[in-house]
Amino acid sequence: MRHSIKERLISTVVMAQLILALGLLVTVVFYTSRSLRSTLDSNIQARAMSVAALVRYTEDATGEVYFDDSLIPPSVDPAHPDLFAVYTERSGLLTKSANWPTTFDIPVSGETHWNFYLNGVPYRGLRAFHVPVLDREEGMKFRPQTLTVIYAAPEIHLKSQVRDSAVFITLASMLFLLLTVLLSLWGIRRGLSPLRDLATQAALVSANQWRLDLPESVQNVDELRPVSQSMTQMLGRLQRSFEQQREFLGNAAHELKTPVAVLKSTLQSLLQRPRTSDEYRVGLEHSLEDTERLEKLLQWMLRLARAEQWAQGALRRDLPLIELTATCEEAAERMRNLAESHHTNIQIAKNGPIPLRADPEDLQLVWTNMIENAVRHSPEGSTVEVSVGRAGAAAQVVVTDHGEGISASDLPHVFDRFYRGDRSRARATGGFGLGLAISKALIEAYGGTIRAQSAPGEGTRMTVELPVLSESQNVSRQPSS
Amino acid sequence: MRVLIIEDEPRLAENMARSLRESAGYAVDSAPDGQEGLFLAQNNAYDLVLLDLMLPKLDGMQVLAKLREAGHDTPVLVVTARDEKESVVALLNAGADDYITKPFDLGELLARAKALIRRGKGRGSPVLTISDLELNTVNQTVRRGGRNIALTAMEYRVLEYLAHRPQAVISKTELLEHLYDYNWEKFSNVIEVYISGLRRKLDDRSAKQLIHTIRGQGYILQE
Repeated sequence: MRHSIKERLISTVVMAQLILALGLLVTVVFYTSRSLRSTLDSNIQARAMSVAALVRYTEDATGEVYFDDSLIPPSVDPAHPDLFAVYTERSGLLTKSANWPTTFDIPVSGETHWNFYLNGVPYRGLRAFHVPVLDREEGMKFRPQTLTVIYAAPEIHLKSQVRDSAVFITLASMLFLLLTVLLSLWGIRRGLSPLRDLATQAALVSANQWRLDLPESVQNVDELRPVSQSMTQMLGRLQRSFEQQREFLGNAAHELKTPVAVLKSTLQSLLQRPRTSDEYRVGLEHSLEDTERLEKLLQWMLRLARAEQWAQGALRRDLPLIELTATCEEAAERMRNLAESHHTNIQIAKNGPIPLRADPEDLQLVWTNMIENAVRHSPEGSTVEVSVGRAGAAAQVVVTDHGEGISASDLPHVFDRFYRGDRSRARATGGFGLGLAISKALIEAYGGTIRAQSAPGEGTRMTVELPVLSESQNVSRQPSS
Repeated sequence: MRVLIIEDEPRLAENMARSLRESAGYAVDSAPDGQEGLFLAQNNAYDLVLLDLMLPKLDGMQVLAKLREAGHDTPVLVVTARDEKESVVALLNAGADDYITKPFDLGELLARAKALIRRGKGRGSPVLTISDLELNTVNQTVRRGGRNIALTAMEYRVLEYLAHRPQAVISKTELLEHLYDYNWEKFSNVIEVYISGLRRKLDDRSAKQLIHTIRGQGYILQE
């Protein structure tokens, strides 16, 4: 599913901002209403005390009290006047404010603070118990009275103030949210610009320009380092395999030109003038032979290309469990006729069964290539020795001949494609210089090694080592990549 | 004219030789490797060498270098499967006169071979003219004073060789060397036969004699 990193980042930022704004809103509403209420409470307390202060003793020193209603404190909100009532402990209700509801009885006992509605207006009430009458002069001999004062003031302002601050906070949050979105858009754009640089540079990579030149803006970004590193590595691998292919194609084209030139010249010279039917027949026979040679060369080249693809891990196959010694014996058997015609012997030294996972056709091709080379370069009457065994953890196949050997200058190139130490002899033996290159590619595809040791006049020894899988590891083997 | 082909692909060498013999009437020798090729080129008088590059024993480039080092200025036409610019430049710098890439057209090979031989003799035009004698090397026809003259193949070859170097005395041995391949000694007396045949066909009906014999030295073609 398509999605954009930018959209994801922005929606994350917006979500975070919304949660923050909501938290802020709740906090502010809670805190504001608490602090406003506590202000209101102290206001009510002060007014209750003022009302209590209006209660005075009569002059007759009996301890009776009266209420001086000339100095009632102003209401908190003139639109919704405050309520109050004063009770004495001796005679009960002393006084009530004018607006004291008649329908509505406010109990004298209960919590100190409480809320109620009066005509739809929210009120906050206070019950103050055991308030002493302050107006007592020295020398008065009576037991002083205490009062219960009830005072209530409207809470309507408190609610509207809380609502106002909530609205304010919400609007401010929205504004900040907008700013944050804009800022993060800009920041993300800036932050993603190295990615665009990387893409621009990557787009410049081609078959002629494999280097990925990363600007500092890309190199300095930690998050891009794994990407750029694996891109560089991938390009290296691609370049190697591309150059291998290109080299192969170049070699192949070069090798194909000569047989095509032969074929073309034969046909052209046949057409140059009228020929006898014998001449035509010979010419056609030659052409057919050359075409067959060309076909064989093509087959070998395709085989090599395929083996090299396996070696690079391009194709992976499930491989059967086979026995190594048997493939060597089979290959030696196939070479028996050739050896007889060369008057040479093939001797095989075995050392018990060696199980491994491989395509038996691949291995037989390698062994026949090695044995064929050995036979062709062996003098008459000599023996080609094949030994199959183990060398440490690996399986080892060694093919030794007692032929003329390979010169020191040719030895490093024997596994090169199309390399022939002596071209005229190679032609006489029908070789294209591909057999050992194919063998090497196949052996490497199985994670093994192949090497040649030789000295002129002393014969050649070809050694192949293949990793052997223990029986427990009989899951699928992958060619090394 | 005598041409040396140094090519290790026997069938290709054979086809080139056949074509040069049949279509241009050249004498052709072949060498299957660089060593033998160099030996033949140094010890025989060739009018052109066709040289392959990928050769056993001695590489084509080395053959070319050694030939030029030894002071031989025989034209060399390189036959190569490589056509990259660098290798062409290296070839021409090493002293090759021209190159042709495999697979080539036999007709083109012939045309290039003829052109190189002409230039090797200092003649640019494919039609050689001496006085009123006209010799067309492309279609191998001879005219004198506007009249077509029919020659045998060998007569034509002798005349062509003389016409490439007019006013020069050319010995019988030189003619033999350039008209026959390596076993030319067998034919030592035939040159006189061809010369007399040419005289009869070219000079008998004209006032001016073109073919002259310099006693003890050889022949000369001039007015």
